[in-house]
Parts: sequence; structure tokens; C-alpha cells
Amino acid sequence: MNRAYLAALIFTAASPALAQSTNEANPAKSYSGATADFAGAGAPGEWTSQARDYANTRFSPLTQLTTDNVNRLRLAWTFSDGTQYGHEGAPLVVGDTMYVVSPFPNTAYALDLTKPGPTIKWQFDPNPSPQAIGKACCDAVIRGWAYADGKLIYNLLDDHTVAVDAATGKQVWRTAMDKVSHGVTMTQSAFAADGKVFVGNSGGEMGVNGWLAALDVGTGKELWRAHAVGPDSDVKIGPDFHPYYPWMQGKDLGVKTWPAGAWNTGAGASWGFVSYDEKTKTIFYGTSNPGPRVPVQRPGDNLWTSAMFARDPDTGLAKWAYQFTPHDQWDYDGVNEAVLLDMPIDGKMRQTLVHFDRNTYAYTIDRNTGEVLVAKNFAYQNWSTGFDMKSGRPIVDPQREPKPGVKIDKVCPPDIGQKDWEPPAFSPATGLLYVGVFNICMGLTDHEVSYIAGTPYDGMEMQRYSADGKDGNWGGLIAWDPAHGKKIWEIPEKFMVMSGVISTAGNLIFYGTTDGWFRAVDAWTGKVLWSQKLGSGIIGQPITYMGPDNRQYVAVAAGVGGAAMVQKGRDGFLPRGNTIYVFSLDGEGIKATGDSLPAPVISSDSGQ
Amino acid sequence: MSPARVSILGLVLVVVAAGATGWVLSIGKQPENRVAVAYPEGLAAVVPLGISAGHAPPLAVPPDNPLASDPNSVEEGKKLYGQMNCAGCHGYDAKGGMGPDLTDTEWRYGGTPIDIYKSIYEGRPQGMPAWGNTLPPNTIWLLVSYIQSLGGTFAAAAPDEGDASPAAAQGQGARAGQRQ
Repeated sequence: MNRAYLAALIFTAASPALAQSTNEANPAKSYSGATADFAGAGAPGEWTSQARDYANTRFSPLTQLTTDNVNRLRLAWTFSDGTQYGHEGAPLVVGDTMYVVSPFPNTAYALDLTKPGPTIKWQFDPNPSPQAIGKACCDAVIRGWAYADGKLIYNLLDDHTVAVDAATGKQVWRTAMDKVSHGVTMTQSAFAADGKVFVGNSGGEMGVNGWLAALDVGTGKELWRAHAVGPDSDVKIGPDFHPYYPWMQGKDLGVKTWPAGAWNTGAGASWGFVSYDEKTKTIFYGTSNPGPRVPVQRPGDNLWTSAMFARDPDTGLAKWAYQFTPHDQWDYDGVNEAVLLDMPIDGKMRQTLVHFDRNTYAYTIDRNTGEVLVAKNFAYQNWSTGFDMKSGRPIVDPQREPKPGVKIDKVCPPDIGQKDWEPPAFSPATGLLYVGVFNICMGLTDHEVSYIAGTPYDGMEMQRYSADGKDGNWGGLIAWDPAHGKKIWEIPEKFMVMSGVISTAGNLIFYGTTDGWFRAVDAWTGKVLWSQKLGSGIIGQPITYMGPDNRQYVAVAAGVGGAAMVQKGRDGFLPRGNTIYVFSLDGEGIKATGDSLPAPVISSDSGQ
Repeated sequence: MSPARVSILGLVLVVVAAGATGWVLSIGKQPENRVAVAYPEGLAAVVPLGISAGHAPPLAVPPDNPLASDPNSVEEGKKLYGQMNCAGCHGYDAKGGMGPDLTDTEWRYGGTPIDIYKSIYEGRPQGMPAWGNTLPPNTIWLLVSYIQSLGGTFAAAAPDEGDASPAAAQGQGARAGQRQ
């Protein structure tokens, strides 16, 4: 591959024209013409935030690993944190240090990459309350952590946000955000931008009151908090709020679209990833399902649950919102990430966000207005018979609407969607997004429930199974053209694909399966170039980085858990684990040598 | 569902009609995140938390489920299991989810009837609410009856024994102790 081309790719945010003129080995023409602003990324060899950049592309400009040599990837070193819950976060690499936070009890580690790995520089034990374990719906996980201003910042399961000095491992501040006794936990990945850290709550199954808050990076002081339900004052909706569609316009819709008083336990938690447009100063994030999960108990659209907000990071005030699944009847949520891309749609350049919703629509939305430009299914679903582009609402099949005590044999997707929180990656060369998906359905019986603080406000009894029957596949990896709403290829997988995906300038895509396969794929063709089975299923987010030895490494955690546990009991499903695996070409790396190696001592009476 | 029913949902203070048992329970005071220290009437405070090494002192009262011979208690307990949101954590099939499986023979805090009673009454450190704040003893015993019917519990220890024995029907998976 041509070095000049690569430099151009990195520094001009991948002009499709350049890709066309210089990349002769491949089809070369970007499928979508989409480009990204890689603002917020660290140095090319670093991985300093969960998504690597504010736009949430998970694209690395590194090129040492290519489609030609990736089959030489071998294990360089591993690190185990000893915990038993799902491992969902991405390790961060800042300078010569890797930062890792374990699931509960949320222990943080700094690993010195200049030494034979893993060498612990410091360890920080925050000692969160174990009460939180039993309040977390879907395992005592953490989906990531942030680095900003010399601090590692992350959420504790027991509703605190903590900042740790990245050099010393000492706590700088700890801010109490909510109460575990109310069923609230925090599993979201803190997101740092603009001198602030944005954190949200979990507990969509517990009748919580959902929120996203901004804290000052330096002090941990809460700057603002915006709820997803309640009056406009709680939701931080003011005169500058301009939702695109008329049905989302009006006063206090976070109250009026609910039965009297029901909004207060209506959830709308924010446990997904946040993205940031530096140019327009806007943050984007999604909200969870409404509570209770039984829809007959909450007639109405239930705003602003299962929705996306665009907000001003300084004031928290909403700019627009869009609800993906009005009156969400299946726990589809709207928490999945927004990937910020610019692309031509119908001949006109648009500033968009791309969002793969759990409801199985892939949306390309004008990120300045909230107008839906593309809404197409990226996998199999049967709850919606179509999408009304004029109103911006999906059309619901009444046969899939649950009634208490009546079993529906097949609703697709089930509660966890055909794509859950696991984030996709974008390639500026192909113009495609690469997404881990599911291929599953549920049998569903609803039960009416009462609100009892600190217990589930839930009511869904479910059995999940492959959409293709008893021996069918449960997942896959797809390549998606967001401008045309088209799937370009798919790699079918026997088990759900619930890992993050990354893309590199070497035209490589990395992902993992929930039965432990870690794979490298050609970004253009989807051809699997390398696979390694790890010790547990993969629900972590891979990263790639340049070590101090100028080698490109790829790292991922294998530690199955979370929603992937719906597959427990299937043949081939591996036990839980807790290990980060780090790979390099031929497994080369910084090895222990010379004086640091133990040497045998020959006994004096050995007879030699 | 009636409009009146809808209107009470979402209130932090909820009155739950406990169906078959006929009790009305006020959940105004929510369970705190701590192990309650009060014991239900009629139970001595010397009841051990679980089986530790050696023999625990004998109980002052027979620790068996007083509703063991009530043929309706299992069905009523099952209804309560749904109404009190137990199913939300432990699963509609009781095979676990957010909370532990209640059908197997692993009991962190003991698997005899009084152990299970105490876990429900006191709450447990990993998120189990302390239902002793809101449920009367008879209601808790109904829940114990339902959990006993699932087959993984242990028989009550005889008054002169410190150890509990596995229930007869447990088969190969049964264990005489439990994990702590």
C-alpha cells in the first residue's frame, strides 16, 4: 500500500476521490462517499477514548498490519483482572500506558507498555457497594472509561463517578450521582469532551428516572443534569428546542405522553455511548426503554424514552430529539450510539449521524435538525411493517403487540434487539460501517407489575432463539452503506456478535464473537483473514495501538457476560473469563531479556 | 386495566393488593441497603446466618416452615413471587437472572427453610431487598413454600443437629453444605 496515499487518508479525513485514484487492488470507490471528522483522537498510535474520536468511528490510521500480513498475528501477552462479570470496555492507550478498569468491583489498572507485559504501574480499588450487583439488570459490567486532563474517569456500579490521577493512581475526586436503593446503577462509559465528562444512569428495568449529567473534569462538580422524562424543566427543553417532527413538538411532552404521574418511574436511562460534534458544539446520546416494560400500563408515546437527544454541552439544553420507537412495547431502547458522518444523500451533502437501533432500523439522520434521511432494516424483524418517512414513525404490526397473560410465539427482534450497545466501526476508505448483529427472536408473555422501589419494574417473560429455527445462526457481522441504507455483505456467525468493531487504515476490520473467536476481516470483501479462539466469549471492544517498540498491537478483552448470557447452555458457549489478549505480528514484543530472566543455579554436588 | 389502576402506577408510594392472601401492604418505606437487625416475632436472635464450620447452637424454635402442611401455600407463594417482583430478578422460571437461581442446590446464605426466610426478611448484601420492612411473617413463609417446591432447598435441621441434610428428592446434584 502506498504511503503517500495513507498519509493523505489520515490527514484529509479520507477523501473518497483519493481512495479511488490510488487504491488499485480494491474496488476503490467508496460505497457511500461518507467522511468523518476524526477530532478528539489522540496521536495515531494512541487509543485515548472508547470510540477513539468524538465522532465514534473507531477508526485507527495505523497501517503496519495489512490484509497481506494479518495472518501472522500471534499472542504477545495477556492480562487478567480476576473478576467474573462481563468485560465490555476498551482498554485505553495514552502514551506508553494502557488503562484498564475491571467490571465490579471496578478496579483500575495502569499497565506499563515499555516493560514486558503486563507490568502494573498502579492499581486503584474504589470499593463500590456490593448492593449494586443485584440492581444491575444485565450483569455488573462497565462499558468503558475516559481519559482527560491527566485523569482516568469512570463510573462505579454504585452510582458514583470517580477521577483517578493517571500518573499516580490516586483518587482526585468522587461524585455521588444517584441511589442504588432506587434501583439505579451506572454501567455507562464516561465520555470526556470540552472540559467536561458526560455520564448517565442505568436501570431501565427498575423504574428509574433516566438522566445524563455533565461534570467538570477538574473538580467533579455537577454542571447540569438532563432527565429523559418529566416536565420540560427536568428534560432541559427550552425555547431553542426544535424537534423536526410535529408529534414531538409541544410543551411538557415528557409528562403528557404518559398516564398521570407515570413518567416519574418511566426510565429513559442513558447507558450508551456519547458522541460530540466539535464544530456545532453538540453532544448526541440515546435514552433507554420506558418503564414498566409492560406497555398496557403506560398508554402514550412515553417521551422521551427510546429516543436520541442533541444537546448543548455547556448548558445541557436540548437542540432536538427524535424518538425511534414511540410507546416502545418490546424494550428496544434508543441507547445505541450515533456515529457522526458527512455524506451525499440524493446528491446533496448532509451532516448526518448514523444509528443502528435495537428495533432493527438503521437510521441516517440529519444531525443538525433530527430529520430522518434513511431508515432501513439491517437485519430480520417482524414487529414493524414499514416506515412512514413523512411522519418519521415506524408502522407497528398489531399482531406483535403484547397483551398481559397472552403468549406471543415470535417477536423479532427480542428485547436486546438485533444489535445491542456493541458499537460499530467506520472505514473512510470503503465508506461503510461494520456492525456486530444478532439474528434472534423471542417468545413473549407480559405480566402486569407494580412499582416497588429497588426491584424490577419489568414484567416481560421471554425465551430467545435463532430467527432461523433450532439450528440457525444467532448473529453475524455486516458491512452497511449508510447513504443508501444497504447491506453490502454479511459474515454469518453461529453465536451473537456482541463485541465492538474497529477499522484500520490497513483495510482491516476486527471483531469478536460471543463464543470466543477474534477475527480480522478484509474491509472491502468481508473475507476472514485471521481468526483466533480466545478463552471466553468476546463482548469487549477491541483497540489497536503503536507500542513504544513501534509495533502495532491489537488488544481485546475476552470475558463473556451481559446480554450474551441468553446463549448460556448452547453447545459451544464458553465459561466466563477476565483476560485481555494483546496480539502483534509473530507475537513479537518487549520481552524479558538478560538480567531480568531467571537463571539456573547449578548445585555444587551435582557431579558435573 | 382500569383507568383507576393506571393512575396509581408510577407513584413512589404504591399500595399493592397481595391478591390471594388478602393483605394490603404499604411499600411507603422502601428497603434500605443494609441488613436489618430486627427479627420476626417468635424467632430467637440466635438463629445462625448459615452453616459455618462445626455445629451451630440449636435453635430455640423449630426452624421448619410452619406452612409446610398447607396445601395452598405453594400456589399462593407463587402468586406473591410475581406480585412482589421476585420474578424480575430471579426469573419467571426461578432459574436466575439479575439474582441467583432458586431451583439449584447452591445457596450463598443457606438453603434450609429458616435460611431462606432470613434471606427474604433481612435482605442480602448483593442487592436482595430486606422484605422484613414490608411483608408480614406469614407472607414470607408463603414465598418460602414456593421456593421449597422448586426442589433445590434443604430440609430443616432436626433440633438436635447442627447440620442440614439435603432434601430427599435432590438426587446427584445435592450437596450437604453450601457456598459462602
